[in-house]
Amino acid sequence: MDKILVVDSVSKEYPGRMAVKNASFAVTAGSIHGFLGPNGAGKSTTMKMIAGLLPVSSGQIELFGKPIEKQKISELIGMLPENPPLYFDMTVRNYIEYVARLHQQKDIKNRVEKIIADLSLEDVADRLIGNLSKGYKQRVGLAQALVYDAPFIILDEPTNGLDPQSVVELREFIKKLAEQKTILFSSHILSEVEQLCDEITIIHQGEVKASGPIKEIQKMFKQGLVLTVGVPSGQKLPDLSPFGEVQTELLSQNAGEDIYQLIFSNEKDIRGELGRYFYSKGIDLLTLSLDSPELEDIFLQMTEKP
Amino acid sequence: MIFTIWKKEVESYFSSPLAYVIIGLFSLISGVIFFNLLVTYSDGILAIPAHMAQEISFVDEVVVRLFANINFLFLFFIPLITMKSFSEEKKLQTLDVYWLGGVPEWKLILAKNLAAFTLIFAMILMTSVYPLVIWGVGIRDFSILGASYLSILLNAAAYISLGIFCSTLTHNQIVAALLAILGVMGMWMITWGSHLHSNYLLAEIFAYVGISSHFERVLRGLIGTQDIIYYLSFIFMFNFMAVKSLGKRNW
Repeated sequence: MDKILVVDSVSKEYPGRMAVKNASFAVTAGSIHGFLGPNGAGKSTTMKMIAGLLPVSSGQIELFGKPIEKQKISELIGMLPENPPLYFDMTVRNYIEYVARLHQQKDIKNRVEKIIADLSLEDVADRLIGNLSKGYKQRVGLAQALVYDAPFIILDEPTNGLDPQSVVELREFIKKLAEQKTILFSSHILSEVEQLCDEITIIHQGEVKASGPIKEIQKMFKQGLVLTVGVPSGQKLPDLSPFGEVQTELLSQNAGEDIYQLIFSNEKDIRGELGRYFYSKGIDLLTLSLDSPELEDIFLQMTEKP
Repeated sequence: MIFTIWKKEVESYFSSPLAYVIIGLFSLISGVIFFNLLVTYSDGILAIPAHMAQEISFVDEVVVRLFANINFLFLFFIPLITMKSFSEEKKLQTLDVYWLGGVPEWKLILAKNLAAFTLIFAMILMTSVYPLVIWGVGIRDFSILGASYLSILLNAAAYISLGIFCSTLTHNQIVAALLAILGVMGMWMITWGSHLHSNYLLAEIFAYVGISSHFERVLRGLIGTQDIIYYLSFIFMFNFMAVKSLGKRNW
């Protein structure tokens, strides 16, 4: 598939500190690309460089096949920065209209009304932005990014600090938005990224640790076959050496069941054989399930302090 | 685009109480000054023999003094107006709206200059009742009134460019205002160097670089090309520095 955005060995150096080190990743057209990393990992800096708000110290960023500095990216990128650039003394409608004017749009009235409707801002359209709740402010920030209909949207931690209801609404909106646009979306909330994104880039301490479709990244971190088995309390696991090298770890003991995690170095799915093997040894198998590594595990593994 | 930003800025000025407080306070103080000058003038006329009263010029005693005082008031009023133009936006990170919109720095700065000038113009407009009062009491000597207004408008434009530049330097409005006050005072004080008797050339340079000598000439209707060039280069220089200062955001 086409890559809309290609970030090629980009670094950003602040005096005495490398905020981003040699970062490379690409965003596929029509995808929601999750940009994942702990706070201070360099997510915002990278996003600002992509949007042209910060110059790169080295490397190159290409959007739609052309370096960003060689084209008018203001019509191609819509961005919701971490702190939405809102004027608290303007009404929602006036502000959105103002942004549309700055982007020299035509048919401004209709555009503004459409975006107000899309983001369900009708009730607050004539109120001052400063008097709105955080959830509404975030939506106005989103309206600011969308009113000029750019094909590529950058959202920097859009759900940060919102109440659960607003978070759910915003996620739904982002999903809908992805039907028409490509979205680069940063977050430090793993479940959110897992839910929303098709592909991810994990960044830590300014370095890209992994990038690509979520499935592939999960595969990359699969260390053989991971099974969860449960046996009645008091019964021991049988000798598993016939199945090759295996690590066992007792995860929990409750309700009369001991749950173990078994990691086989061989990747072959041996659930059927294992079941028969337990049966032949006279051990009841209460639980048997196949685990794929959670994004959270991968993330924690990557962002562990060295 | 400049018009769009100008309009938004003017609306923003007039949607906050600050604009009204500033205009009101300015009108009050300049009104008191005007009243005092008028009383002093008429007392002076009455206190001396009629044939000598002709010697006391209304222009010198009232008009010139009034506008010189207004210039002094600008020292505080203009930094109050320009202080938030960029420092507030830097603090709230709202400038991203312009950079994401591909707005060039110079257009933004020009629009902010024009918006601040609009507010100052409204403020100065309040003083237009004074000539009417003077007319009402039968004084017809308005020879230099146009030049006087031109002089404070030019000074206002110059101070605005300086104030806006100061505002691009900091996130803090108060710091921006103090820097602008110091800057304007500095431009006045340079003129004092023109009293240097030991070095004629240096004294001339000080006189040219300082704003006061130009202001006084324009105020008295003696405007020359060098004054126009001075004001234009003053305004251009500070706006240019403001453009550079905003460009520096990308360090």
